[in-house]
This record gives sequence, C-alpha cells and structure tokens, in this order.
Amino acid sequence: MYFRNKLSITILFIGLLGAQSVFNAYGLGMSISTHHTASAGAGSIGLVPSFYPGVSLDNPATWPGLNFSYVSGSYGNRSIGIGKNGNRNYGNGFDKIQFVIPIKNRFAIGLSLKPVNDHNAYFKTDSTRMNFQGRDIIFNKEFRSGGGILAGSFGISLPMNDRMGFGLSFDRLFGSSRDEETLILDSVHYRLFNIKTYSGSTFSLNFAGKFYDERDIMVTGYARISMTGEPISGTQYQFDLFEDKNDNYSFDTDDYPATIGVDTIDVSNIYAPSSFSIGLNAGFKNDLNIFGEFQLWNDQATNGNYSSIYTDQIGSKTHLGGGVIKFGKMGARSWQDRITMRLGTFKESYVLKNSGRKINENGISVGIGFKFAATGNQLDIAYRTGSRFMTKDYKESIQEFTIGLSLGDIWFLRRRAKQ
Amino acid sequence: MKNNILNTTIGLCLMGLFVLSACEEAAIPVSADDTPISLDTISFPVVKAIAYQSPPEMGKTEYLYFGKQDGYDFQYNLIKFDSSSVTANTPFSFYNDSLVIVDSLKLSLRFEKDSIINNVGFQLRYFPNGGDSVFSDLESNYLNFDQGIASDIISTAQMETDSIDTNKTEVYLNFMLDSSIVNAFRDTSVLDFNRSFLVELENESAESFNFHSTDIQAGTKPELTVFYRVFLSDTVVMDTTSRSYLSVADITIMSPAPISNEDTAMLSVSMAKGLKSIVFVDMDGWTLPSKSIVSSAELIFNRVETDSIAPFKVISHPMTSDGIYDQFTSFTNDPYDEDLNFFTSTNIVNNVLKINHRKVASEIGQKKFTNFGFKLQSSFNNDPFTTVQFYGLNNQDYYPVMRVIYVLP
Repeated sequence: MYFRNKLSITILFIGLLGAQSVFNAYGLGMSISTHHTASAGAGSIGLVPSFYPGVSLDNPATWPGLNFSYVSGSYGNRSIGIGKNGNRNYGNGFDKIQFVIPIKNRFAIGLSLKPVNDHNAYFKTDSTRMNFQGRDIIFNKEFRSGGGILAGSFGISLPMNDRMGFGLSFDRLFGSSRDEETLILDSVHYRLFNIKTYSGSTFSLNFAGKFYDERDIMVTGYARISMTGEPISGTQYQFDLFEDKNDNYSFDTDDYPATIGVDTIDVSNIYAPSSFSIGLNAGFKNDLNIFGEFQLWNDQATNGNYSSIYTDQIGSKTHLGGGVIKFGKMGARSWQDRITMRLGTFKESYVLKNSGRKINENGISVGIGFKFAATGNQLDIAYRTGSRFMTKDYKESIQEFTIGLSLGDIWFLRRRAKQ
Repeated sequence: MKNNILNTTIGLCLMGLFVLSACEEAAIPVSADDTPISLDTISFPVVKAIAYQSPPEMGKTEYLYFGKQDGYDFQYNLIKFDSSSVTANTPFSFYNDSLVIVDSLKLSLRFEKDSIINNVGFQLRYFPNGGDSVFSDLESNYLNFDQGIASDIISTAQMETDSIDTNKTEVYLNFMLDSSIVNAFRDTSVLDFNRSFLVELENESAESFNFHSTDIQAGTKPELTVFYRVFLSDTVVMDTTSRSYLSVADITIMSPAPISNEDTAMLSVSMAKGLKSIVFVDMDGWTLPSKSIVSSAELIFNRVETDSIAPFKVISHPMTSDGIYDQFTSFTNDPYDEDLNFFTSTNIVNNVLKINHRKVASEIGQKKFTNFGFKLQSSFNNDPFTTVQFYGLNNQDYYPVMRVIYVLP
C-alpha cells in the first residue's frame, strides 16, 4: 500500500508539458475548459455533478454534498496529431490539484491549483527558397512557446436554503511564459526571445439548485458567472535578435552581436476573461444522470499589445456539451456497482479577436470512477478524443488520457461517538 | 479479491499513462504565412573604386630579405632584440655589475635553406645614438627611414653550415661582436635602449637571400647571445656562460618593383609592391530596420586571373576619411586611416573574394558610423610578392558589389 501510494505520487510529478498545438500560439493560447478527471470523463466543464451524486469538484456550490474531505489530483497525458501526415506530439501535465473540506454538510471550503491556459507550441515552417542575385537563399523558421497562467483558487460554499446552494471562488492568476522565434539560414540560428510574467485575478459565483424532485426523477440546475477582478497585467522582456553561433538556445559571448538589448515593457489589461455557464442535470432513480451544459466565454481585455507568435489571439469561446453519468454506490457489495460510468460529447468554438477566424473543436469522452476504502477514495480515469480545426487551415486530432486520484478523510464532519 | 481488482485497475491506468507520456517534442510543420521573423536582402553598388600605392610595409613578413628579386631591391634589414633574455629574463643592466665581464656577443640569423650555393658577405651596424627607438616594424619604409643614423660597420660575416645531426644541417649567419657593444645596451641614461641592428649585404647582389624573421611561425627567430663571466672573488671566476635575447621586431627596408598597367587599372593588392585599393559602396539612405540583425554584408570582388592561387587573404577595414578616386596615385605615406575595430581577413575562394563587413554595415544602417568606403590590402600571411587583381567598375559582368542579407523580427 505504501509503495503504491508512493508510486502514484511519483507519477503525478513526472512531466509538466502539454502537447503542443499550433493554436496555442495565438495570444496566451487556448483556455482550458476541463480540470478534474471526473469532469473530463463526462466531457463537462465542471458545472454539473460528475464526481459524486450531486457533487462536482469543479463547482463549489455542490461541495456540501461531499461526505468526506478530499485531496484530489488530476494528471493528463495528451497526444495531438497534426494534419494528414500524422505528425503526433505527446505531452503531459497537471490538470488540477485540489483540497476540499465539507463542513457539517452545509458549508465547504477548498483550495486548488490549476492551469488556466495552454501556451505550449512548437512548430516549424517549410523551407523558403529565394534567389538573391544568383545566390540561392534557403531558410526556414521555428517557433516555440511554453509556460502560461496558473490559478491558485480559494472556494467557499454557502447554503441558501434546503434546495439551493451558493459557491464563491476567487482565483489568483499568476505565472510566466516564454516564446522563441527562430530563423534558420545556412544552419545558423537567428533567435529572438520574449519572456513574460502575469498577474491578475478572477472570481466566480456558482449556483446549484434542485428544481424538481419526484420519486423517479430529480432535476437540478447549475449556473456560474465568472468575472475578472483584476485584469492580467504583466511585464514583457523582449530580447533583441541574435545569431546563436553555438546553437545553445541562449545568448552568450560566442554569439553575434557582442551585446543585445532587452526592452522591458509593462503592459496592463491583457487578459480579462469572463464567462456565463448554465447546466441542467436529470437524475433518475437508478442513479442514471443525463446532463447538458452551455458556456459563453469572452476575453474582455482592452490591450492587445502583448506579443505572441501569431499576432492574433483568442477572443471568445462557446461550449455546448452533454452526456450520461451512472454513479456507482459506495457501499455496494459488488465491485461492479461501485464503478461510476461517464459518457459525454462536446463542441467548442473559439473566435480569434482580430481576424474573426474560428477554431472548432468537437469531441467525445468516456470515463470511469472506482470507489475504494471506507473514506470514499476514488480513482477516476478519463479518455477524450476529438478534433480541432480552423477552416481551410490546420486540423488536429486530439487524444487525452487523464487519471485522477481523490483521497477522502473525515475532517470537520460529525463522527460517531466511540462505543 | 478486492485488492487484486484495485491493483489491476491502478496498473492499467499507469500503463496508459506511460504509453502516452512519451513527451515527444516533434515540431509541427506549418505554413510560413502570417508568421513573424523574416529575412530580407538588399544590394548596394560600388560606385567608386581605385587602386593606389604606398611604400611597402614588410614588418610582419616571415622572412628578412637581402639582395634583389624580380625588380624588388632589398636594401637592408632592421632587427630589434628583447630587453630580457630567454628563460632567465636577464636584463642588460645585469652587465653593469663590475664582477660581470662580457667577453663577446653573437648575432645569429637562420638562412631560409639548409645549404649554401652562393655565399656572400654581410655587414652589421647598430644604433648607439638611436635612443630608445630606431624603427617601427609597421611604419618604417625606404622613404621615411634614414640609414645614416646607424654606426659604422661593427662586424662582418658569411653564412656557415651547422650540423644539427648526421642527416640535417642548418645554415646561419653569425656576426661576432666586440664586448664594447653591450656598453650601449646597458646605458643607464636611456631607460629602454633601442637594442637594434642594421644588417645589409657587403656588396650589391642580383641574387636574393632570405632569413627567418621574428614573425616566422615555424623556424628560428634572430637571436643575440651575450657570453660573459662572473668573478666570485678577486681570484675565483666562473666559466664563461651566456644569455640569449630573441628578436621582438624586424623589417626589410626595400624599394618596390615597377608596377604594371594592370596593377593600376584594376583593383590590386600586393604587400611588396605597396598596392592597396579603396572602394566606395553607395549605402546612402539605407536604414537597417529596428531590432534587425545583419546575417552577412558581403563585399564581393572577382579576381582577374582565372588560374588557381595559393591561399591568399585580403584584409579590409572601413576608412575613416573620404578617398580620392580620380586616378591611380603613388603616395609617400598611406593617406587612408582605417577603423581597426572592423577588421576583416578573408580568403579568396574560387577566384572570388567575399568580404563580410556585416559589423560595420550594421552600424552604417543604424546611422552610428559614417560610410567613407572600404580599404583592401594584402594580409601579412600571404606571400608578400604576390599581386592579386580584382575587376573594377568597368567590367560589366564582374563588377564589385555589396550584398546584404538581414533578419528582422
């Protein structure tokens, strides 16, 4: 048991990279819709219950439904194939680390750390040939970007009445990223670096309510309004171009010119996400749930002057998804009855701010959750597959395998008196 | 049973995790459209070009030349020795001690060849009244050096063969000097005495004789040896010992061979003839885009001769003043100073010379440096007697040009 836990923790800390995508080179990259493995398995944005009956770990308004406190971690592996030639990239990284404590079945508090966007991109262009007065010049380019914004989140759940709950979460956004542009001429690399830091905050109001509750069916509704508290500001360090003679990716004394300049630019209001999400869930007597979700996401930043590899950036997004979840029973005698089954499908559509071009993503997901031990421990596994494409442009096929481990314990809950 | 199921489940999950966690970072191929960072080119014409002549500067050649060869007249050679001896670092002031008795001195030059075919006499002078400096190996020439400041002849010698081993011999020119010479060197009234000698042929010769110089890469530099004894007491004296002083500068003072019409009509470079060329590249109005970097700024010349040439390097600098391009001129002093910060040395490859002046081109494009044109001269590493000619402005196919390739963000 000790070895197994140790191995699990070790696996959790391997790798920090997501698979690169061309679309991540637009502005700050793609915003991440799903964080917890249970939500990923249902293709959900985390609004409707997917972890436990009545509970989504991504929705603070539902946390009082938890029977135990949880330490939860989700770790994903992504594989992205590009175009028809099947170039495929792999990457892995944390999706979420979370700690949630329900208090007396009425309140709850939680802390989490999660990535906000995916900025990981690495791509190269085809060779370009030009004739310069009889001399053939052949060059190509490479671009890399990585890092991004993380959210350190604090959430609290408060009851409104016996049918409704309210959750508030505050996200502190921080992080840094780096992008590199390279032109390769006659095997000589001309590089340019940008290093950026980010700081800002968002908050969200979450709602969960029981609309209809009869013997055979219960309909619940969920909503979330996310707003920007402090639009992301940052510092951008723009290094001048240099000839990386020794091709070691950094500027040193062997490179040309002997010195390079760095422009330090303070920029404000570069990222100000807001969103409105609603979801409906119909729970049947046999623990079968059918849900649907819709989200409108918008970046209301007023300052677009923040360099990225592509000069455009993601301006808005819509998400439409739905699925079926069959929750397992914790105390069931048969292990099959303790398995939660999830199936979902979703469609997301991103719109670029400047050009108005659309990036469409469609996908389906399946997932299972397995409860073990008396404190509600749960192992979740999710697999998502889909495609992402821009009209008359790149098409990516995405596969994602996510594993989440949630370990429960009894904190701030009423314990039975010792006999 | 329960544990088995759990272990199996976790095991399968970990396998899935590992299968997909290869972290392969293969670059995604994309179109270059709409991507930043680009490459641009610009070509600048050479609008003025001319060759000129100044007195030959032979201070950095590998040999010291005597006699005559192909019209060149090697008049004499000047050699300066170090102030401290080899290994022991003994200064000449050491010989001021009354207990140190200098017996004699020997000045040795190694001949270029290992055998003597025609031996001739050489004579030696020095500069007892020359103070701390007699000549400059970078600037002295047959027009600005006054041979009359040298002393009378202090020694004569002929070349002699020295057997290194049974199979190898070397030829040296050894001048034996009277011990009184060292008195001038140890003169305490001059802080850094010139320690210089003038070596010349006793009689004019139509032949040339070449000796290893200070700048030879693999050879024997000129050497001055001082033989002395030290008295330990009034009656006890050590055996004769010696200290060697290597040359630190030398130069052949020569008058150049006559120049040809081709030398003056083309853009010519030659060390022994003193031929150099200047060109003006019209870069007026050009501004290098902000944050750009020049990948290459090749000033391109085509050699007139089409035969193969031994490795030949051309040194080029930007000039610090305007050039005169009216006609070929022979100057008594090189009138064109160059900015040594932008030194380039370029080999001729396939009879084409491509001098990459990107550093100064960048500064010209950024308006940090005024473009006065560029100067071309032969490298010290070349055979000094080789003359290379490049096409000037008159050739329609092989005219000089500067081609700049730069990368801009």
